[in-house]
Amino acid sequence: MSDTLTPDVIGRRVEVNGEHATVRFAGVVPPVAGPWLGVEWDNPERGKHDGSHEGTVYFKCRHPTGGSFIRPNKVNFGTDFLTAIKNRYVLEDGPEEDRKEQIVTLGNKPVETVGFDSLMKQQSENKLKFPSGSALTGTFSALKVLVLNQTGITWAEVLWCAAWCPGLEELYLESNNIVISERPTDVLQTVKLLDLSSNQLIDENQLYLIAHLPRLEQLILSDVGISSIHFPDAGIGCKTSMFPSLQYLVVNDNQISQWSFFNELDKLPSLRALSCLRNPLTKEDKEANMTRQLIIASIGQLKTLNKCEILPKERRTAELDYRKAFGNEWKQAGGHQDPDKNRLSEEFLRAHPRYQFLCLKYGAPEDWELKTQQPFMLKNQLLTLKIKYPDQLDQKVLEKQLPGSMTIQKVKGWLSRLLKVPVSDLLLSYESPKEPGIEIKLENDLQSLRFYSVENEDCLLVRW
Amino acid sequence: MRECLSIHIGQAGIQIGDACWELYCLEHGIQPNGVVLDSQPDQLENAKMEHTNASFDTFFCETRAGKHVPRALFVDLEPTVIDGIRTGQHRSLFHPEQLLSGKEDAANNYARGRYSVGSKVIDLVLERTRKLAEQCGGLQGFLIFRSFGGGTGSGFTSLLMERLTGEYSRKTKLEFSVYPAPRISTAVVEPYNCVLTTHSTTEHTDCTFIVDNEAIYDICQRKLGVERPSYASINRLMVQAVSSITASLRFEGPLNVDLIEFQTNLVPYPRIHFPMTAFAPIVSADKAYREQFSVSDITTACFESSNQLVKCDPRLGKYMACCLLYRGDVVPKEVNAAIAAMKSRHSVQFVDWCPTGFKVGINNRPPTVMPGGDLAKVHRAVCMLSNTTAIVEAWARLDHKFDLMYAKRAFLHWYLREGMEEAEFLEAREDLAALERDYEEVGQSF
Repeated sequence: MSDTLTPDVIGRRVEVNGEHATVRFAGVVPPVAGPWLGVEWDNPERGKHDGSHEGTVYFKCRHPTGGSFIRPNKVNFGTDFLTAIKNRYVLEDGPEEDRKEQIVTLGNKPVETVGFDSLMKQQSENKLKFPSGSALTGTFSALKVLVLNQTGITWAEVLWCAAWCPGLEELYLESNNIVISERPTDVLQTVKLLDLSSNQLIDENQLYLIAHLPRLEQLILSDVGISSIHFPDAGIGCKTSMFPSLQYLVVNDNQISQWSFFNELDKLPSLRALSCLRNPLTKEDKEANMTRQLIIASIGQLKTLNKCEILPKERRTAELDYRKAFGNEWKQAGGHQDPDKNRLSEEFLRAHPRYQFLCLKYGAPEDWELKTQQPFMLKNQLLTLKIKYPDQLDQKVLEKQLPGSMTIQKVKGWLSRLLKVPVSDLLLSYESPKEPGIEIKLENDLQSLRFYSVENEDCLLVRW
Repeated sequence: MRECLSIHIGQAGIQIGDACWELYCLEHGIQPNGVVLDSQPDQLENAKMEHTNASFDTFFCETRAGKHVPRALFVDLEPTVIDGIRTGQHRSLFHPEQLLSGKEDAANNYARGRYSVGSKVIDLVLERTRKLAEQCGGLQGFLIFRSFGGGTGSGFTSLLMERLTGEYSRKTKLEFSVYPAPRISTAVVEPYNCVLTTHSTTEHTDCTFIVDNEAIYDICQRKLGVERPSYASINRLMVQAVSSITASLRFEGPLNVDLIEFQTNLVPYPRIHFPMTAFAPIVSADKAYREQFSVSDITTACFESSNQLVKCDPRLGKYMACCLLYRGDVVPKEVNAAIAAMKSRHSVQFVDWCPTGFKVGINNRPPTVMPGGDLAKVHRAVCMLSNTTAIVEAWARLDHKFDLMYAKRAFLHWYLREGMEEAEFLEAREDLAALERDYEEVGQSF
């Protein structure tokens, strides 16, 4: 390919040592002699400048270091579609299978399409260029799968392309720096799968523009930098009219850090499967199980999470745990077991839109369920007791912590060492502040304090 | 002609078999009730395929009613797992006589599987095998699917293999065995079962392809994005490799590889018959079409440890033989270039006494993907079977665990009670020690 300085070359996609770029300028750059190509790299840090050299602006780049000047012979223009196919199949052995061929003339480039119903166009080594304004002489009416990864294509060009493929079902547009600029009206209506991964310029507002594709079942948004999503047309707990057929959503490698993301996903009417790995919210390894449970509980109709089926038992456990975990918050926000007295705050409803539904399904959480468990440490098992000596007025009231499993014999032994009174002389009993005036004798030496139901804050009475 | 009989033993073997026949049916266009799909306009792939009877014949037997019945036998010593097949999706695919179950299981005990419980069922199994073999015009051999660690998989299989050698001495017997994973255990007595079964089966098998669960878990988690792989995911991945190995027998291709050809090219000495399996490309369905998987890309990927189905590091050993089975859109020109590139790499070291080392098979059918599965549909794939001395690491691990338990005679009474003697344990351990020494010797330079 040696047509380096024709105007044809501008806009073409090239590759240099594995890095892809688009040609923006061809010509002479004084003071250095010879032809140069000005290219804008896909990777904005690869270049040296933004298209200007010694004051003169030759071309514009999106980033200050996005451009470089390169000699034309160092640049690989790739092979076009037709040549690539010829090199592959026709050269030596000949095609091994019969192929139905359908030749369509596209602008001034004949393109040979090979295949049956589904066809994959080789991408990326190809620099697809669209001759503007050329009349179409045919359509790819049977085309179902179109792959345009890493071709530098823009959204407008995608829609233009899609006009030739009325039956298109799968569209792959990875790594194209796409910005969705308009809503597709007559095109892309049959698309079932759309892959927009690694297009860092996409944000959630642009998603509204593709929200009304009627047949869209799978949407892949990995590595686009999305952190939140919002369906403004649906209130809390309602279903949105956007993405009506979306069944499988992939949002791996993004910036999701808020639980509200999953609450919003609950509004999608057909969502059945979600993949959401390697996001800031789901990264902590210790809590991986809890994260999974929270996601399951937040999205009611989900059947598969991260490619693992959610069995009914898992869903039940997740929802019960969710209900219990936020039970205290619910109480504080005005929740009540009696449905008449239930007045939940706006804030709580927004943070936990499914909570009401869970209460209906499993019943409102009871008070005993919400009691926080004290960790099982020895100090939590000790009884705080007051020791009084009713027959000796001058002795001070002692406060002591004793384990409930301590036997009366040992309590007496300790008291005798403390009071210098022989064990056999001691008589123990206790009274409880809950029932003042009633004294219970601790007679059997071999039984423990717990046997006699001695509780915290009770008072031991010692006589001798 | 060239029929193959598959025998699935124990829970692992049966579950793998379930996935395996599901995949074969998809590849051949057979519906779950055994009837071939008519070529409708949208089933163009099937119409395209040369539908000669020969392609079904190796694995399916056609009845007069037009139904295709798999040439398979499912055996277990307890009924639960087989009942799953009897009531599952493929219940009308198999003849009831092909699904054999006993009443009490082997309880993870080699001795029960081989001596006490197994001996009651063996005659029935052999009779059914004979019946299936008679239906074949020219039986090529047997494919046995089982696990090393279970009671039935270890004990019953060793009994069966002995009897099969007795009756069908000239037929090839290939095994697909699930080896116990290094860090994930499903049974405490796995080492005992493995050592005992390896000792008794080695002389009766021609080639054993081992896979282990841990390697496949890692692949599922890292490459396919499956958070918690279930046995279904693991089996689906494994049967892709199995399908690649048997693809030459079922479909036409420019370079076919027969069952006997595997043995001839992979097994340098009769005891050194444990090749390692690797498969490429393994791509998640979410990431379809991201990368161009050229022939050289997938060939290189096969030599990476992340694509292996067994946990072992081939860089620590040397390759003795390597078999690359390509399927899909592959031309011999590219294969030659890819292999030349691999041979020049330092990380791929061959033993001194094997200069050429590569056997290639090419098949035109690309891999079929199960609907709703985790793998993406790709246009070309390769399954690599390599006989490398590094696999001795797997045996060394196993022997070490065996020694630890045997030193204390832990759990031994369960075996002794069923009629085994300690001498058999010692003999088996000796045999494996000899196997390790054989591998070492083979890997040495002149």
